Amino acid sequence: MNLAIRYLTQYRYDADVVDNLNALRVKPAANGRQRCDEFNVRLDPEVRLHRHADYFGTEVVEFEVSRPHDHLTIDVRARVVTQDGPSPPAAPWSALREPAYREAGGEFLLQTDAADQVALHELLEATGAGATPLDTLLLVTELIPDRFEYRPGATYVDSTVTHLLELGAGVCQDFVHLGLSLLRRHGIAARYVSGYLYAAAADGRQESIEVDTHAWLEALLPALDGGEPVWVGADPTNRGLTGDAHVKIGHGRHYPDVPPIKGVYRGMASSEHDARVTMTQLTGADPGAIART
Amino acid sequence: MLARIAQELFWLGRDLARAEHTARMLDGVFHADVAGAPGEQDIALSWAELLAIIGEKAPGPTAAAGDTGEFEALTAESVARRPLGRAVVASLLTLDTDSQASIVSCVARARERGHGLRDVISTEMWEALNTFHLGLAGRDLSAALVSGPYSVYQDVKEQCALFWGLVARTMLRDEGHSFLEAGGRIEAADMVLRMLRVAVPPAPHRSGNEGEALALLHAVGGFQSYRRAVRAAPTVGPVARFLLYDGAYPGSVASSVEALHAALSNADALPRSSPPVLRLGRLIADLELQRRAPDAAAGFDETLERVQVDLELIDSDIEERYFAMAAAAAVHL
Amino acid sequence: MAETTHAGLLDAYQVPAGCRDELIDESGEPRAHAGPLIATLERLGPEALAAAGRRRDRNFMQQGITVEVAGTDGERRDRPFPLDLVPRVLPAEEWTTIKRGLAQRIRALNAFVDDVYHAHEIVRAGVVPWSLIVSRGSFARPVHGVRPPGGVYCHVSGCDLVRDGDGRWRVLEDNVRTPSGISYVLENRVAMTRLMPELFAGHRVRPVDHYPGLLLDALRAVAPAVDAHPTVVVWTPGPANSAYFEHAFIARQMGVELVEARDLVVREAVCYMRTTAGLERVHSIYRRLDDDYIDPLEFRPDSLLGVPGLVRAYRAGTVAIANAIGTGVADDKAVYHYVPEMIRFYLSEEPILDNVPTYLLEDDATRKHVLARIDELVVKPTSESGGKGVFIGPHATAAECAAQARMVTAEPERWIAQELVHLSTVPTETADGGLAARHVDLRPFAVFGDEIRIVPGGLTRVALREGSMVVNSSQGGGSKDTWVLDDGGAVDLAPGTLPAQRPPPRLPDVRYGGWQGQGQQQQQQGAFGAGEISQREISAKNR
Repeated sequence: MNLAIRYLTQYRYDADVVDNLNALRVKPAANGRQRCDEFNVRLDPEVRLHRHADYFGTEVVEFEVSRPHDHLTIDVRARVVTQDGPSPPAAPWSALREPAYREAGGEFLLQTDAADQVALHELLEATGAGATPLDTLLLVTELIPDRFEYRPGATYVDSTVTHLLELGAGVCQDFVHLGLSLLRRHGIAARYVSGYLYAAAADGRQESIEVDTHAWLEALLPALDGGEPVWVGADPTNRGLTGDAHVKIGHGRHYPDVPPIKGVYRGMASSEHDARVTMTQLTGADPGAIART
Repeated sequence: MLARIAQELFWLGRDLARAEHTARMLDGVFHADVAGAPGEQDIALSWAELLAIIGEKAPGPTAAAGDTGEFEALTAESVARRPLGRAVVASLLTLDTDSQASIVSCVARARERGHGLRDVISTEMWEALNTFHLGLAGRDLSAALVSGPYSVYQDVKEQCALFWGLVARTMLRDEGHSFLEAGGRIEAADMVLRMLRVAVPPAPHRSGNEGEALALLHAVGGFQSYRRAVRAAPTVGPVARFLLYDGAYPGSVASSVEALHAALSNADALPRSSPPVLRLGRLIADLELQRRAPDAAAGFDETLERVQVDLELIDSDIEERYFAMAAAAAVHL
Repeated sequence: MAETTHAGLLDAYQVPAGCRDELIDESGEPRAHAGPLIATLERLGPEALAAAGRRRDRNFMQQGITVEVAGTDGERRDRPFPLDLVPRVLPAEEWTTIKRGLAQRIRALNAFVDDVYHAHEIVRAGVVPWSLIVSRGSFARPVHGVRPPGGVYCHVSGCDLVRDGDGRWRVLEDNVRTPSGISYVLENRVAMTRLMPELFAGHRVRPVDHYPGLLLDALRAVAPAVDAHPTVVVWTPGPANSAYFEHAFIARQMGVELVEARDLVVREAVCYMRTTAGLERVHSIYRRLDDDYIDPLEFRPDSLLGVPGLVRAYRAGTVAIANAIGTGVADDKAVYHYVPEMIRFYLSEEPILDNVPTYLLEDDATRKHVLARIDELVVKPTSESGGKGVFIGPHATAAECAAQARMVTAEPERWIAQELVHLSTVPTETADGGLAARHVDLRPFAVFGDEIRIVPGGLTRVALREGSMVVNSSQGGGSKDTWVLDDGGAVDLAPGTLPAQRPPPRLPDVRYGGWQGQGQQQQQQGAFGAGEISQREISAKNR
């Protein structure tokens, strides 16, 4: 797909604030399945941008507004070309025990959530029945939306898996955290992915649609031929593997490694904010499309 | 230097000066209480007035706004419940740890600030503060107030004198020294001014009765100086003018203002464009003018009021010019 | 020693079985290097020792040199810092070994930190598993790929050394985050010269008071090369911190500002402090708080103690932070196991100082072996310090052993097991002025700027209860002045005669011995008021 993304965030403060420092993780990643052709960030008040890649390889855009101000607008625009990934390998469970797999999995094998083993027990049994790690991955993406209600506003930005289990409802971030917790307990390395999801209009017309930033996960699946294991994207909010509608920004062990916007400011003011993501499918000449097979 | 440190030094000076002046005033009132019958004098300086002088003073910057309210409530409550006699006021202003204005609270705060300033002040200064605090905390002050308040206040005065002596002998004469000095001086000026405003009745009601003003002099420890410096009998008018104008007496408002001016001139990189320094210069000139006025008695009350307003403005100028950096950082959401 | 009257001082002196006493030999006679000291103590007698003890307590209270100790009623009180009046004496040649061993270890630890955040050579060589590194809570991802000036990470270190029954020095744990205790080293020496000047007669004791100068030099040496006079500050979490006394002490001794987070601000990736004359640039920060609290933008977002943007400035190279961010990965108790291998890998040298035998518990066979012997071993949590959570098998009941075994089985990666070290003893004053053997350890302090320098001696911590091996001051431990003797002939090698090293040569300075320091590892704890920074983390919550 050829997509244009606009991510507009506006803050209003009820008094002047200073030293407003922010870190954005909003730029679509470049990898074998997607390419970012254009990316720019405009700010009001206007200040200089600093960029660097973080430990996980996500591009971070940092800036600070030090002088007094009562509003902040962050206007991010990007154009990206995506394609579906190759079909995932269905290697046997035994492959997970290979030292090479464990080393490749690294920190993504470690739990980031202290959810109670007992509370997860039944979910673990249900998802452990997969014949291969790939089957279990698919079971996880099915089971979570079956058992939990998607309800915006049900949880907070720092809610835990325990919170989701108690509440029975959450948003994509919570679903991903639960999925990571289950997969890692099955010995499958898994990581949190932050990104944008293009949900096409029902009639298939090309138009701009309002979405939100989205989250899904990637699981490290051993290759069939004993080669390098591969990261396979799966979306526990939308049941199934990810496709060319998923635009990845970056990944981490969990949400705090890839928050889209993170910031602090000084001042005796509270803030209100409004954020919207608009995605448009572009057609016509697709000059730089990734070679499709 | 760090704005926060300068501010802490400034308030350390204020806390100690307040403790000292509170002790002197309590001592003076005790003296008057024993020596004569209050209420029949011109000078209104007894237990209730003392509370008015010190009670309306707000505590320092780190004791946030909430604490002020607490203190006022406490005072009001005490006023309502009990007659404002010696027992109530003396203990409230001396040893009540719940009262922000008591001597032990002032000293405890000063010691706390000193603890945080140990890399700035001299070791001797810190040890003096610590010993001062521990001495008060370890002493049965209630019993001491009954048996001999003189010794309590004498001790406070001596410890304060020891501290300022150590400042003079051991503290580096840097910016920090200037802010400590400035704090002590502005507080001293303020305390004396408050006392004069509360205790000195409006001019028409004054009599020429000698001896009435002695309590005032005792309350700042200026009796001997007055006797040596002024020929007139210690009646209200001359005593009040002495305490306001006499630059030769270190406890006078004029002396304190001069010293404050000198301290800030030293501390400020650009004193000629510094609002508090400029305002202090004008205040000094104004005091001198008033002192020389042919009829000094007339307008004395207005002068007191004007000087006090000026001091408040200078206080906020100081806050703004030197400590605003620290204040900006101390914002809470 | 001749048959001078021991006057009963050592008559009842008992060294615990299996332990070595550093001043008294097996036959109950003073060792050669301690002869004059013991003779003086005997001449003075118990009364003089007890009287000096009373003077000490009074002085320390007055000076505010105190520790907070929980009383039997649970209330915490200030007590005079428990300085034992009998010094520990180290002969010069012993010190030389310690010093060289420490310098070697610190070079290896420093190389490891650099490697962990850059090339991962030791991982690729199969010496240390990557999975171990990434599982450490102290592995600091925000500084991956950031190399501080001079490649120095461990500017100040305080490794804990113990001496086993066989007389060998071993490293018990490494402290390369914010080791504390140096102030006690300096204060102990000053106090001893005032309280017991007689004891110094007959010994030439090497001085320790040049530490602040060394630290300041190091902090200046690593400052970004911009101005002629870099501004150095000491950063404390504030007066509520248990080591605040030391923070103020160090700042005062170096003559630099003691700042708190609210005094610092980062603008355009440059760090400034707020002064009465506006913002002033800061080049080098000696910080005394953990990584987690440094910058709410990069580490714990709920921490309001930090300076937002400081990591950005650090990444930009405009400010030096000592110790560097992320050094905690090198003093983790599970990583400790690999330090001898690190020395061989990075320096191609054999370790001069041994580790205490340590077992990582994730391996099934090792764990089984350890659980079978748990009543003989010491078990420690990997991520704690200050002696918290340490299990000592020989002192535990059967029920405690079983409980510890369950915890180990549930989360083996959180624990390590070590052989019990029979800590050496040193004569220590008793309440009545007599002497009794008490267990000690040693924390020398090293400073690494353009080279590694170690002040002679360090902090000797002593367990004041009979038989106890817990020396942490938070748990009833005291300290001793530590003397390194200047014994004429038995001095250090000249630099040129040291064994060949891999470049860059970072050798202990010959004129200065090791550093000593003591005190418990600093913890961030206690109630700091709500800070000044409004925090928002978006909002743009993923849906």
